[in-house]
Amino acid sequence: MSRAYRMGQATVPAVRAVSLSIRASEFVALQGPSGSGKTTLLNLLGLLDTPDSGAVFLEGRHAESLSENERSDLRRDRFGFVFQTFNLIPVLTAEENVSYPMVLAGVAAEERRGRARELLEAVGLADKLGVRPDLLSGGQRQRVAIARALANRPAVVFADEPTANLDSRTAEGILDLMRTINESSGVAFLFATHDPRVVARARRIVRLHDGAVEADEAA
Amino acid sequence: MIAVVTFGFAAVALAGGFIAQSFDALKEGTIRSVGHLQVVDRRAVGRAEEATLEFAIPNAERARGVVARDPDVAAVLPRIDFVGLATNGTKSVPFLGIGVDPEPEARATLASELVVSGKYLSGDGGDGIVLGTGLAGALHAKVGDRVTLMATTPDGALNALDGIVEGLVDVRIKELNDRYLAGGLGLVSRLLQSPESVSRLVVFLKDDEREDLVAARIAETLQRAGYPVAVQHWRELAVFYGQVRLLYIGIFGFVGAVLVVIVILSAAIVMTMAVTERTREIGTLRALGTRPAGIRRMFLAESAVIAIAGCVAGAVLALVIRAVLNASGIVLPPPPGATHGVPINVKLYPLAYLAGVAAMLATMGIAAWAPASRAARIPIVDALAHV
Repeated sequence: MSRAYRMGQATVPAVRAVSLSIRASEFVALQGPSGSGKTTLLNLLGLLDTPDSGAVFLEGRHAESLSENERSDLRRDRFGFVFQTFNLIPVLTAEENVSYPMVLAGVAAEERRGRARELLEAVGLADKLGVRPDLLSGGQRQRVAIARALANRPAVVFADEPTANLDSRTAEGILDLMRTINESSGVAFLFATHDPRVVARARRIVRLHDGAVEADEAA
Repeated sequence: MIAVVTFGFAAVALAGGFIAQSFDALKEGTIRSVGHLQVVDRRAVGRAEEATLEFAIPNAERARGVVARDPDVAAVLPRIDFVGLATNGTKSVPFLGIGVDPEPEARATLASELVVSGKYLSGDGGDGIVLGTGLAGALHAKVGDRVTLMATTPDGALNALDGIVEGLVDVRIKELNDRYLAGGLGLVSRLLQSPESVSRLVVFLKDDEREDLVAARIAETLQRAGYPVAVQHWRELAVFYGQVRLLYIGIFGFVGAVLVVIVILSAAIVMTMAVTERTREIGTLRALGTRPAGIRRMFLAESAVIAIAGCVAGAVLALVIRAVLNASGIVLPPPPGATHGVPINVKLYPLAYLAGVAAMLATMGIAAWAPASRAARIPIVDALAHV
């Protein structure tokens, strides 16, 4: 896949001829300096963006053939997303934030409530169900975001710099949590990061440089 | 945003109530002038008379009695329409005359309220006449003066007799005021040498709502009694009422349209700002799997919630302002054709409130559509990167 952006008159390549395969249950770190194309690659794989050339295949399906609604449904049902800045909906409580993807999927209210509580308990926030994001710490918000990413039992969670806004101790806790979830539920995790702590926990590391894969190796 | 909708709704609700009051006042003034119904000879409908009393109702007292016996009728006023010349001995001025039964005429209509000098006719009217102040000025006539009236009789002869000026009235419409003359039925019948005939019977009802029913019943009863008559409704007769009503609707419609445009522009600006401020949130929702149509629906639903909340607040505001205005004792200028101002009484007009809700929902929907559609089309990665 390749992807370039226009900046004024210039065209800046962000991802250049990258070929990458992510298997079920993997715990992969996309590592590289700023501007190396990590976030762009993550966006392309997560169907948030479309490549200029090449294609994304998901479980054998060609993503280019999908309509906008089908791409939305795929993200809802098969993907989870964790963002650097948490991106929780400020007017919703922790429980409502976790429930939101299930509302989109048409899960019954009772089942939604049970699943949201179960997930928040799993990330250690059983006592924060009715609390809005602005009253939670950074680490707690990221835990809510992880619980939300797992709501519809996705095949893969895409995490863009998930620890960048967290202190060391909190970041360690978040990484341990994601690793535990990966091992217990088999959900694949793909991180874009330049945090060595994240890289240290990955089982596979893909190193990017100037939009191209420099190395792809098991940790 | 809610404040814009609140004021917009309150304006619609109050304007609706004010228009309703204006229409009611106009209707009341019109009915007090022409009655609820008028009974005329069938030939008179849509045609002008070639000769005086050509299409008269004969045996008018009997016909009047037949109509007056209807249980829904409050009063029946016989009237004779005629034209002639009035002279003071040196100067002659043409007039538009009306022959009336003075006592019931004074009770049911505004006639006696128009008197500015002397008094209105009383009893059977005798030889008394009432002149418009314009006509009196042209004749240099004042209360107590004798004026000679000349008119052609139904068979074409010219007849004349003297009337005594008992009162002067200000008819408010200058052209009519310069020609207006009223006399008792007895005097006018003698002048026209046509006893027992009238041009029309003006009928006042006890209840406006039963107008159609009573009109049909009166027409049937009179026809059974041998009178080939037609019964006309006040709306058919008062062309002026329809014109003024249309004018009012035009004015308030224009003001309402301006109001709607202001609300749409304000709402569109606010919704555009909301979309801009929430671009990142839109990106997040799209990433989580919300379809573009879902984003559009979300903003439209929010605009509907704002509209409803604004309408509720607007209804409260409108009721408070209405109570304050109605308690203020402000007197409005007389509506067209009326003689007295009316105290402001903004009506509680439920249709205006319903129209306000519909207008605000539609307005907010229109205002939100473009920003909501734009929100649905923002590329996800751009939205997520929005600062």
